[in-house]
Amino acid sequence: MPKKGLLFDMAKCTACRGCQVACKQWNQLPAEKTTFFAEKGGYQNPAALSPHTYSLVKFYEVKADGQLKWLFRIHRCLHCSDPACVKACPVEPVKAMVHDKERGMVYVNKELCIGCGACNDYCPWNIPQIDDDTEKSTKCTFCIDRVSNGLEPACTKACPSGALVYDDYDKILKMAHQAKERLEAEGKHPTIYGEKELGTGTHKITVFPESLDYYPDVIKNPEVPADIGFFHELLKPLGGLTITASVVGLLMARVREVREKEEV
Amino acid sequence: MTNHWIDMIHADVVMIMGSNCAENHPIAIRWLQRAKERGAVILSVDPRFTRTSSFADHYCKLRSGTDIAFVGGIINYALQNNLIHKEYVAEYTNGSCIISKDFTFHEGIFSSYDSDKRSYDKKSWGYELDENGVPKRDESLKDPQCVYQLLKKHFARYTVDAVNRITGAPPDDFTNICKILTSTNTPDRVATWLYAMGTTQHTHGTQNIRSYVILQLLLGNIGRAGGGINALRGESNVQGSTDMCLLFHIIPGYLKSPHIDNVNLKAYLEKWTPKSNDPMSANWWSNYPKYMVSLLKAFWGEKATKKNDFCYDYLPKRSGNYSHISLFEHMYAGNIKGLFCFGQNPAVGGPNSNMERKALHKLDWLVAVDLWDTETGDFWKRPGIDPASINTEVFMLPAAGSMEKEGSISNSGRWVQWRYKAVDPPGEAKSDAWILDKLVRALKKEYEAGGVFPDPIRDLAWDYGHEEPDPHTIAKEINGYFTEDVNFPKKNKSFKKGDQVPSFAYLKDDGSTVSGNWLYCASYTNAGNMTARRGTEDAINKIGLYPKWSWCWPVNRRIIYNRASVDPQGKPWDDKRWVIRWNKETKKWEGDVPDGGWAPGTKHPFIMRPEGLACVFSTSLADGPFPEHYEPVESPVNNLMSKTQVNPAIKIWNTPGVDSIGTSDKYPIIATTYRVSEHWQAGCMTRNLPWLVELVPDSFVELSTDLAKRKGIKNGDRVVVTSARGKAGAYALVTDRFEPFTIDGRQVDEVGLTWHFGYTGLAKGDSANLLTPHVGDANTMIPEFKAFLCDIEKEVG
Repeated sequence: MPKKGLLFDMAKCTACRGCQVACKQWNQLPAEKTTFFAEKGGYQNPAALSPHTYSLVKFYEVKADGQLKWLFRIHRCLHCSDPACVKACPVEPVKAMVHDKERGMVYVNKELCIGCGACNDYCPWNIPQIDDDTEKSTKCTFCIDRVSNGLEPACTKACPSGALVYDDYDKILKMAHQAKERLEAEGKHPTIYGEKELGTGTHKITVFPESLDYYPDVIKNPEVPADIGFFHELLKPLGGLTITASVVGLLMARVREVREKEEV
Repeated sequence: MTNHWIDMIHADVVMIMGSNCAENHPIAIRWLQRAKERGAVILSVDPRFTRTSSFADHYCKLRSGTDIAFVGGIINYALQNNLIHKEYVAEYTNGSCIISKDFTFHEGIFSSYDSDKRSYDKKSWGYELDENGVPKRDESLKDPQCVYQLLKKHFARYTVDAVNRITGAPPDDFTNICKILTSTNTPDRVATWLYAMGTTQHTHGTQNIRSYVILQLLLGNIGRAGGGINALRGESNVQGSTDMCLLFHIIPGYLKSPHIDNVNLKAYLEKWTPKSNDPMSANWWSNYPKYMVSLLKAFWGEKATKKNDFCYDYLPKRSGNYSHISLFEHMYAGNIKGLFCFGQNPAVGGPNSNMERKALHKLDWLVAVDLWDTETGDFWKRPGIDPASINTEVFMLPAAGSMEKEGSISNSGRWVQWRYKAVDPPGEAKSDAWILDKLVRALKKEYEAGGVFPDPIRDLAWDYGHEEPDPHTIAKEINGYFTEDVNFPKKNKSFKKGDQVPSFAYLKDDGSTVSGNWLYCASYTNAGNMTARRGTEDAINKIGLYPKWSWCWPVNRRIIYNRASVDPQGKPWDDKRWVIRWNKETKKWEGDVPDGGWAPGTKHPFIMRPEGLACVFSTSLADGPFPEHYEPVESPVNNLMSKTQVNPAIKIWNTPGVDSIGTSDKYPIIATTYRVSEHWQAGCMTRNLPWLVELVPDSFVELSTDLAKRKGIKNGDRVVVTSARGKAGAYALVTDRFEPFTIDGRQVDEVGLTWHFGYTGLAKGDSANLLTPHVGDANTMIPEFKAFLCDIEKEVG
């Protein structure tokens, strides 16, 4: 199977949130207890990604040049071409965070996962969420179970507007550039996000219809924490021993200590 | 819809007014996106910047309840700048017809008005007729008494300045909308118009739609691909329920429910069968008797004979208005003893729901049929009520969901699509057909023993199978069949007793045909169930008609009034997206199923009208031939257009203590109500689904940043919204998507509330309908949910 990709053409999104619900339905994720909307500017719920929410539609109400804009985006795992979460995963010899290099998908092998949270720490967007009950890492699986059986992901299947598309990565990339051209012709200032980020890009390509300035929580220049090598240095002496979440926790505490010192 | 969902891709301009389709009809966006990629411009006109507005290219705000002023302004812009499709107007609309000299209009009142009765007798609204009894016309449109000139005069008052002062629409934004929309007056451009409840739920809702229709006719946009006037229906099968006429004033196929003075079948048919002396008019409704008799045959079968007027006497005759508001007024007065509620939840969805909930107390019995418990079924144990004080016997019948039964649904585009049962219903839940079948059989048994007038029920032809009624038997009867061998020599066709009727052209008024709904005749023929077809081949014109996918009424015509898509010679106005065209060699129409097969130029295109022409001037509505701006019943603004404040033809009830009308000294803020993508109507189907409750867990009110500041309200505060009828608690959503309006130099605020919530189910909250008034449209009685007065304060304690 060739490399696969997901296109998020956000100009076509009307935040109906069918994708968010389809994700929960397919993955049988329980609803979260919410009250009012989580963030100002729209109807976002729940507040953040969690072990029970792999995909989240975010709303942005912005006023620019006297014009009101109501913008939406989908927040979730980007499926990096060179995933830091996999590199960070301390489980050896077979990683619990799996990189399907052939198809370009990143997902958690829950049998192996020790729930240490290194994947979250080294993800430039802190996407993977540790479930305290099961002590496993959780995130968008690219619907690996559907895709492997010839179905498209639940989110793209649910999307009524064509904002979410699943296809071969090459085609997705081409569609992203076509979307950019289309939006430029409409006088907008689109940004392709995911083609070149982190150097090698991601398999989820987002085309934002407007400048990234309108989406304040989108990381403009994502980076993998530089101390990922140092973390592995710390792990090395433990070679051969069973790595547990609490051991990793101790090591991560040491990493953070160093980070804080460096920031000072 | 005159057109259908896929057809939206052909539009050059899409006007979305009175609809928030991105939120309430998300699938619309799939087709509108395709239109956009073709270069279409999308317009959104709404009091609030919605998810639809965010998708649109241009947004213009207007104060709730001022559509006629806004669209009247566009009509005036088109007329003053001569931006109309003149040949279309002259040939295909009654713009050229000469109107009686007795017709006048003064200060918001048309002639023929009786102020005591608050109604028009319409006598002065007629056409001038020639010696043959045919409406006189001036196709140059210059006669001062022709509709076109009367229209021009009527709307001359709707200037950009007047529009701005009444609606609050900024003049630049408004003029921009005018320019874009009227650019479709040429034959090579076309606009579609999408509307929904934002248009209809006003005391002048019908006239709101009329204003859209008039403009679309002036621009020559009706009957064409990418054009039309398209009502986005609020539920997946509400088109089907409308076609079956689950309403008080019509019976299946839009036939009239008999009035008390329609004393026998002859008098009834005489009254409701329209006549025309114009050889150019097809006057399709002249077939009315065939449809009515075939329906009576479906009701009473062999008992219905020519001798007994086909059991016409069995039909109830109405003497009044039995619409939703009226029924609840009567229930409140104690005149109604029992209520069946199938998939309806008036305790949440009805206007002035405090009053409607109290009205339920007066019932002896109530049957609520739904997927979950509803507020209506639970009224006797709602907060603040002692169940011991209620004497109503309440039955809850669990119903099967749409995936748990077989049958058809009719979508907004009139496509009737067969669906199959996926799973068995849970527990004791049963299909509506099963419940009705058991009920009718039990009633028949009771009436076998006698009664005051047992005949209509005892004689009812009712045999759809045992246990689970067979949906195919029902669908076949709706289509209709022959009760004896019949020959049609002119058509060179003959049919045997028991054959399915191939189309309504073969229905007869002599009792030889049965049809439960003439409009659906051709849906289930001897060739099988047309609605179950799933052919993906397009028609010859390749405009996405897909004639072999399901079936649509009438006779699989995908775009109605399509004879207006061609010029009088039968040549399409626009070759690029032609709907039908005349083949000179075969002497036949090609493309979509035409509105009648007559050669071009031999019949007027609007075949359902006795004059054969589309009505720019209406002679039949309750509240006037032209739309005129009136204020909502509750408004903080004096009518700037005339001295007539509200629609003069609406009914006012004034039931003491419960129907109060608020004034702006106490309730200075305009309120409107709406739905969100995440919940469905009165909420019973969505407020019980945890995934949807997670997204929108409680009712909320949207208000402007400016109003919030003045009221000391912060985003996320609990607030109380009050009206003359009640109060509703909600979370405050403070947003720039609502802005105050400047109305005639004065600032006016508007807020918007969701109405999905109630006291039953997983997610609870207050329905906005605790606040809405018990007043309705002059023609349809649809409640004025979209504009009323309120005040808003931060919740104390």
